[in-house]
Amino acid sequence: MGSDQHYDFDAIVIGSGISGGWAAKELTERGLTVLVLERGRDLPHGTGYLGEHAPSWKLPYQGKPERDRNARDYEVQSTSYAFSSANRQFWNNDSENPYAMDEGRPFSWYRGAAVGGKSLMWGRQTYRWSEQDFNANKADGRGLPWPVSYDEIAPWYSHVEKFIGVNGRKEGLPQLPDGDFQKPMEWYGLEHTIKDRLVKAVPEITLTNARTAILTEDLPGRSACHYCGPCERGCSTGSYFSSQSSTLPAARATGRLTLKANQVVDRLEYDDAQGKISKVHVIDGQSGKRRSYSGRLVFLCASTVASTQILLNSASGAFPDGLANRSGVLGHYLMDHFLRIGAVGMFTDDADSYYYGNRPTGLYIPRFRNVGEQSSELDFVRGYGYQTMTMRGDWMMQFNSRGFGAALKDKLRKPAAAWTWYVAGFGECLPNANNRLYLSKAKKDRFGIPQVAFDFQWSDNEYAMARDMQAQAQRIVKAAGAAFAIPMGSTEALSVPGEGIHEMGTARMGDDPGQAVLNRWNQAHDVPNLFVTDGSFMTSSSCVNPSLTYMAFTARACDYAVEQLRAGSI
Amino acid sequence: MNRRELLQCAALLVSGATASKLGFALTDEQLVYLATAPDYARAKSDFFSHQQRKIIAAMAEATIPATDTPGAIEAGVPHFIELMVADWLNDQERALFSAGLADMETRIPQDHGKSFDLLEAQQQLVILETMEAAAADSPWYSQGNIRRPFISDAPFICMVKELTIWGFFTSEVGASQVLRTNMMPMRFDGNLPLAPDESAWAPYMFIS
Repeated sequence: MGSDQHYDFDAIVIGSGISGGWAAKELTERGLTVLVLERGRDLPHGTGYLGEHAPSWKLPYQGKPERDRNARDYEVQSTSYAFSSANRQFWNNDSENPYAMDEGRPFSWYRGAAVGGKSLMWGRQTYRWSEQDFNANKADGRGLPWPVSYDEIAPWYSHVEKFIGVNGRKEGLPQLPDGDFQKPMEWYGLEHTIKDRLVKAVPEITLTNARTAILTEDLPGRSACHYCGPCERGCSTGSYFSSQSSTLPAARATGRLTLKANQVVDRLEYDDAQGKISKVHVIDGQSGKRRSYSGRLVFLCASTVASTQILLNSASGAFPDGLANRSGVLGHYLMDHFLRIGAVGMFTDDADSYYYGNRPTGLYIPRFRNVGEQSSELDFVRGYGYQTMTMRGDWMMQFNSRGFGAALKDKLRKPAAAWTWYVAGFGECLPNANNRLYLSKAKKDRFGIPQVAFDFQWSDNEYAMARDMQAQAQRIVKAAGAAFAIPMGSTEALSVPGEGIHEMGTARMGDDPGQAVLNRWNQAHDVPNLFVTDGSFMTSSSCVNPSLTYMAFTARACDYAVEQLRAGSI
Repeated sequence: MNRRELLQCAALLVSGATASKLGFALTDEQLVYLATAPDYARAKSDFFSHQQRKIIAAMAEATIPATDTPGAIEAGVPHFIELMVADWLNDQERALFSAGLADMETRIPQDHGKSFDLLEAQQQLVILETMEAAAADSPWYSQGNIRRPFISDAPFICMVKELTIWGFFTSEVGASQVLRTNMMPMRFDGNLPLAPDESAWAPYMFIS
């Protein structure tokens, strides 16, 4: 690195979501000047959360979906459980920014549209990977071995957990390592009843708090949860973790952060002579003006799909198949968790028990299949966990009742007779070279950038796992004492790929530059000043929610990158 | 109407958003802080005739009557239904609804000598129950058929009922005087005794 060379910033971070926010924080806190480029609009923390605390009578159609607008502009985004009129401004406008949905095979791509990215409306469940997860590819040969062990990443998990605030309960399970938790949220009466029964009837099953990045204790500048309920509308008290509430303010506090919204990254320019990225080319999303920025380091944190799109669109003479893609695996090994398979139980227990406040998370049943070693009785490798939700029915669960008048009114105003317990699996997906995203040859977006297309199919392993997931959920719900149990989901047609919103793996890491885009430090094998730390680095998928792992690897990569920069080796 | 609401209405007029039937469909630029926005059901509509308004109000009130707590009319449900029919139902649904309403306008006076809204409460109830019995085969009544989009070819009586119940329990009156509402609970307690006559909490997430 020529010390006389001028750079606009020490580091350029592309994306301001979960990973980009962490890169901004860690790099600025280590003394670097950082430019964060966000393609979405600017959105102030707090006042930008336009739907926060809006009661139903203020919402368009009093909460019924805006069907015409959603069909026209939010065809994909509006299929998410977290999308509503109260947070529409957080989501990509699918008609303005489409992808090539009619090519390849169906894949739902959910995408943020504002500073904060998907951290504004993420599901917030936060789990460590286990030693078994990091060993999985090596152990069963279904994927490239991970170059990083649990012990190496564990201190970074702690670092992240302490800062973001994760409430949870320690269980001492090897398959779901404990972390640095805030006190867990309280349980419903029915959940205590269920737990007591499961301990006796199915002792191999653990029912624990969903470990969730929502504060139960204050942190600097952020308040403990006030239990209003719909986190995905944004939280002005910063009670759930988002980059807006946490990492971006920390980066800003250093005085070394510059954040620019409406900056669509077109491509990264590779300088053959230096063997590094020399410029980041952007298009202003409002004016259409083009310009470029230079930085010693580039952290690509635009989300799995968008980061991979940028790399593929940055092909050059040196990299004809996409930047940093000498291995040829860029865009391949796309993964997502399949979900919504399980069981629903109706309970006559605890009918005289009710609640106060809206607990914005549920309980969790950690993986219990193939724990430690492969079971000879199972026809699939890896495993799954269940997210569970407990609900007391209300008028919305019985509005289609027969009858009119005072009796109907009285029935609908009261809690329904039964408690309902939803047990919904999240299954690990194997890495598969045929599952991929690629640039459409036919379609470009309004900036002239080739649109992304997908080609993804679940494999036999996921289908076999889904069958077990559904059968075991029914066993668990029955053991919990349900008056009746109903299977949930179809094991014939799994969720549309992408619907897990855990898309990952298209620029995987590994020690062999011939088989991986990134090395063990999230650094591109082929381009020393390029780091990719969103979900695209993932070499396998585990079955737990992945964001904590993205954050921990991001922080670790920043630490390494700054060391290398100071040592003069980047 | 306070000054802020007035300004917002002015903004809507200037922007030409009234080209939509109600002018409620805000663009992103117009999207305001919803908690301080005017109530949805305050929007204007002239979709129903005077006579149709009376019939819909009577149907809604017969479905959710005033008891010791307010009923559908006090909660603004008839106007909510008019807004929804005008702006939310699609063409197919609106045609079915309008045909059903026209049938109420003509058939009831023929059969009963008076418009629906002028009949005794008991007569109204019998008419609604008869309509419901005739619609009983509709999938609208299937057990558990609640987490789904609006059923576009649902019988008229089902459409009225769904819009009435939805409009009532999501209104300010229904959510806070019949159900219970607390936007800022500050704590969570999952195991409290439920008194026999206690109302449910108003939900914060909406299915469908």
